[in-house]
Amino acid sequence: MTTNIASVAPRGAAPRARSTSVLMRIGRAILITLFVVFAGFPVYWMFATSLGTESSLYGEGGQPLWPEIGNIGQWGSFLTDVPIIGWLGNSFIIATGTTILSLLLAITAAYALSRYRFYGRGVAGFIFFSTQMLPEALIIVPLYAIFAGAGLLNGHFGLILADTAFVMPVAMFIIKGGIDKIPYELEESARIDGCSRARILFTIVLPLISPSIAAASVIAFFDGWNEFMFANTFLSSSSLWTAPVGLASFLGQFYTPMNQVMFSALLFALPAIVFFLWAQRGIVSGLTSGAVKG
Amino acid sequence: MSVTTPLAATTEAAPSKGAPPRGRRRRAPGFGRFLERWGAYLFVLPAILYLTVLTVFPLVRGIILSFTSTKLVNPSGGRPVGFENYEYLLSSERFWNSVVTTLLYTLFTVVFAVVIGTCGALLLNTAFRGRGIVRAVVTIPWAVPTVAAALIFVWIYNNEAGVLNRATGALGLGEHGWLIDPAFGLFSVTLATVWKVMPLVMLVMLAALQSVPQELREATWVDGANRWQSFRAVTLPHITPTIRVITLLMTIWSIRRFEIIFLITGGGPLDATNTLVVNVYRTAFQDQNLGRAAAIGALGLVLSLLVTIVYFILEQVQERKEVSR
Repeated sequence: MTTNIASVAPRGAAPRARSTSVLMRIGRAILITLFVVFAGFPVYWMFATSLGTESSLYGEGGQPLWPEIGNIGQWGSFLTDVPIIGWLGNSFIIATGTTILSLLLAITAAYALSRYRFYGRGVAGFIFFSTQMLPEALIIVPLYAIFAGAGLLNGHFGLILADTAFVMPVAMFIIKGGIDKIPYELEESARIDGCSRARILFTIVLPLISPSIAAASVIAFFDGWNEFMFANTFLSSSSLWTAPVGLASFLGQFYTPMNQVMFSALLFALPAIVFFLWAQRGIVSGLTSGAVKG
Repeated sequence: MSVTTPLAATTEAAPSKGAPPRGRRRRAPGFGRFLERWGAYLFVLPAILYLTVLTVFPLVRGIILSFTSTKLVNPSGGRPVGFENYEYLLSSERFWNSVVTTLLYTLFTVVFAVVIGTCGALLLNTAFRGRGIVRAVVTIPWAVPTVAAALIFVWIYNNEAGVLNRATGALGLGEHGWLIDPAFGLFSVTLATVWKVMPLVMLVMLAALQSVPQELREATWVDGANRWQSFRAVTLPHITPTIRVITLLMTIWSIRRFEIIFLITGGGPLDATNTLVVNVYRTAFQDQNLGRAAAIGALGLVLSLLVTIVYFILEQVQERKEVSR
């Protein structure tokens, strides 16, 4: 991505960019450095701690500021010391289920809200928006009571149902934003040729909005992957625990050393970091598409 | 309206630019024809039904629950008690403390996240070497899962071995019980939250800044405006609507934020971070009082609605001022 300054063609006497004084450059460099340290240090610290030894972490003087790369071999034994692989497996199940269910519901709803005008369209849009305002903590109390009656507690299926309810509207807004940008004329010509709505949606619209679908998938997948509150409340058997529940169980207990905790957190965070950076643009515009116009 | 607010954006009737004109109908055979007629409902109803069953119905159920004495051990039992839960809460100091904590947490989080995020976006909107890498690094906190972020900050705040105490000790600021001392509880949680949400503000503001017309800025330079004047005259008015919207979203999200607070402090020390949503969760699953928890939740929803309404009123007043000027 180039900056505005760089992307503007020079014309006539207009300056391409303002000349920057040395003092301002230094000031800017300092501010940028501070900003980078503030944002980057905690993540760096997670990585550095995972390479620390128990004696260096809790010993005199504390953990060294530089990562002890030589200890990278200890990661292998951490994999068996901590049941992180099993937790990540459960998280993967929840994340996949949430993604599939969310996309199925979101794609069809987004298409209807984008391409049809129908009675109750405003109400439907409001229901989607209002779930984003509703605190999960408020819903969890009655939902717990309902799930207890329906036998959905302590199982992955119930968790997928609950997670989908909160991330599906977000996915819907991302996908609707994508569909809104496609010119309707494309579909219209297909309809003149006698193509049904369903076929138009699956053969013409979906391929065109694949970036939005990708962004929505990342959001849905990592909502299921990261979600803590429902998982922590619904899943009582530790064999069913997702990674967030397992990681949170390290808090308030003292027998798991911090290098193992941080290694588990790193393993858990890495896929999220990679995919969020990859799909960043689509997610950001989708999250605010209900809010920012133009 | 100069700003399209979230509510307006989703409820207004005008869909996409390319949407079909009203009332156009084409003949299609069989199922296609059926879809043409009822397709919208066929497409949208599954999602709406789903949301109704899993959010609207629980919301109603929650409000009913708040008028009962339901306990966690028997979630489907509990007898009606009228306004007892509400009367108890409104006269309880702990509840009002929770309201104040929520408002303070929201205020600090939103102000710092919006200021840091916007300044970061302004910095990143200039051309310099390594801009792509800097942008990626400062975006990472947003991508780090909340549970991982909470673990990292708990470790940073650790009393004996934490790096923050080492830093403040070395700087002569003294060592503090960041998670134990009630005076620092809210600060610690707010700092972690700002770290986590600030990149989203930055990304949104960056997108807004990149749509500022460069010609207008150049025109002010030609006219001899300095950097600040040019910013005031062109950039600021252009990004103000986005600042307003992201502030509203950040506010709504801060009022309902649960995980990072619950994981870092659990509402403590001594209720210093006991925001309403944390309070709901603790009352339901620690005190095992579902009825009273539902009442806190209902009052919390009223609070977030009030904040949203106040925001809309301020928005209207501001607009009137701008129009009359």
